[in-house]
Amino acid sequence: MKKLILSSLLAFAGSTLAASAGAQAIVIANSSVKASGVSKDDLKDVFTGNATTLKDGSKVVPVLLKDGPANEEFLKEYVGKGDTAYRAGWRSLVFSGQASMPKSLEDDAAAVAFIAHNPGTIGYIDKASPHEGVKVLDVH
Amino acid sequence: MKKILVGAITLALGAGTQGFAQSLEDLNIQIHGYATQGFLYTTNNNILTTHSSDGSPAWTEAVLNIGAQPIPKLRVAVQGRYFLLGNFGNSITLDWAAADYKADDRFGVRFGKVKTPLGLFNDIQDIDPSYIWSLLPQSIYPISSRNSILAHYGGVAYGTLGEGGKLGKLEYRGWGGERQIAADDGYTLAQTEAGILAPNGIGGATYGAAVHWRTPLKGLMIGASDGKEPTWSSKITTGNGALTGTEFVGPFNEPNYFAHYEKNKVMVAAEYGKLPVSVTLQFTGLPPSYERIDFRNWYAMASYKLTAKITAGAYDTQQFNRQAALGPARYSKDWTVSGRYDFSQYLYAKAEQHFIDGTAIGYDTDLNPNGLKPNTKLTILKVGVSF
Repeated sequence: MKKLILSSLLAFAGSTLAASAGAQAIVIANSSVKASGVSKDDLKDVFTGNATTLKDGSKVVPVLLKDGPANEEFLKEYVGKGDTAYRAGWRSLVFSGQASMPKSLEDDAAAVAFIAHNPGTIGYIDKASPHEGVKVLDVH
Repeated sequence: MKKILVGAITLALGAGTQGFAQSLEDLNIQIHGYATQGFLYTTNNNILTTHSSDGSPAWTEAVLNIGAQPIPKLRVAVQGRYFLLGNFGNSITLDWAAADYKADDRFGVRFGKVKTPLGLFNDIQDIDPSYIWSLLPQSIYPISSRNSILAHYGGVAYGTLGEGGKLGKLEYRGWGGERQIAADDGYTLAQTEAGILAPNGIGGATYGAAVHWRTPLKGLMIGASDGKEPTWSSKITTGNGALTGTEFVGPFNEPNYFAHYEKNKVMVAAEYGKLPVSVTLQFTGLPPSYERIDFRNWYAMASYKLTAKITAGAYDTQQFNRQAALGPARYSKDWTVSGRYDFSQYLYAKAEQHFIDGTAIGYDTDLNPNGLKPNTKLTILKVGVSF
């Protein structure tokens, strides 16, 4: 019985780890962004429209993914919201005249290509996706 | 004033589009919108000028927003709305149209017809897709006057000071300009039904300030705002034009104090406000009639995201007119439970139940010719789509 419970727990832990490992988001930025790292607070402020600069003075423009596991993981980990609630927050800013909606890109490859060619942009992709031409920011 | 502002916005847009000779892609033109359809049912009384005791679908809104960002620091946008709620609206109006120059996070300014950042929710109270409630607490955000108090002609200066950490951040807004209460606004409804018409509405100068302190406790914001309205005046008539005169309103302040906490799946908010107003009706050749109202309003609300698609919440709100005679017309108390289901990021549905005690808010005499019962239950169903 103990073996059965233990193996069940291990299987559950394994599946949980596999699920989270499958959608690990990294933060990427255009090479013009001076910062090599970014705090979680800064990330949340930038991606919720509350700030346009990082603490070191780097001016940044957020870029979103339309959907997918990396999008869900990023929003959950760094913004603390699901996709629907997150976009509802941006709609508040747009419909009250306080901001424009950030650009939403189809997939990781499109995000990397866009961020690589647009100074000041900052976004996120799955860790496993190729990301040549952009810098990866440490999140602390 | 309106013509000058519209001209200024046109110039700003022109500078963005011609001076920089940019492509449409570079202008970052965006088009957004939303539409909602509501259904109201009350057990007693007809509310918000609808035939709600029979069940009424007379609540429709549609909004179109067009914006452009010709250069990183400048945005120009305009938003129009079709609004129908019972006898209110049934017309297309300009929500706002503004040019916004943001030098940096510490300072920005927008001008034109701009949302007034009064209280916790005033500048987003019309944005149905952004919250769980079908009706925001009517003590502070009356939908019958929403289109008038939502925005003003003039400007707003805004910014954020501080870098977080132990002191948090301080967001400030200061505004000034001119507000116009429309002739068909809820404010004038009782007068209109009594045969006193203000054909041009009423309005005048308005200014104020708001601060939002984003505290070191993550997710907690504490704030205050105060709007100042000097004396407004307007032409009025009665007896099918037989008598003419002037209505004077104010001067008055409208202070609000509020707090908002949001973290993960939980949202909690509360707000308290005062609205003391004096109204004088002066018909030519007659002695003036004078009325003073003195509202005290508050609400406390909470919501919880049960799943990615389902949110549930409740609020309690009350309004008292301290100048009114004792009885149900002196107050309104409203317990509300609400639920929202998001089918996708574009489509949602809401259901809401109100338990209303008192008759101070939301009723007119034409649709309640036999008088008002002191209590009613109001059920609201709503569907919305946004893009």
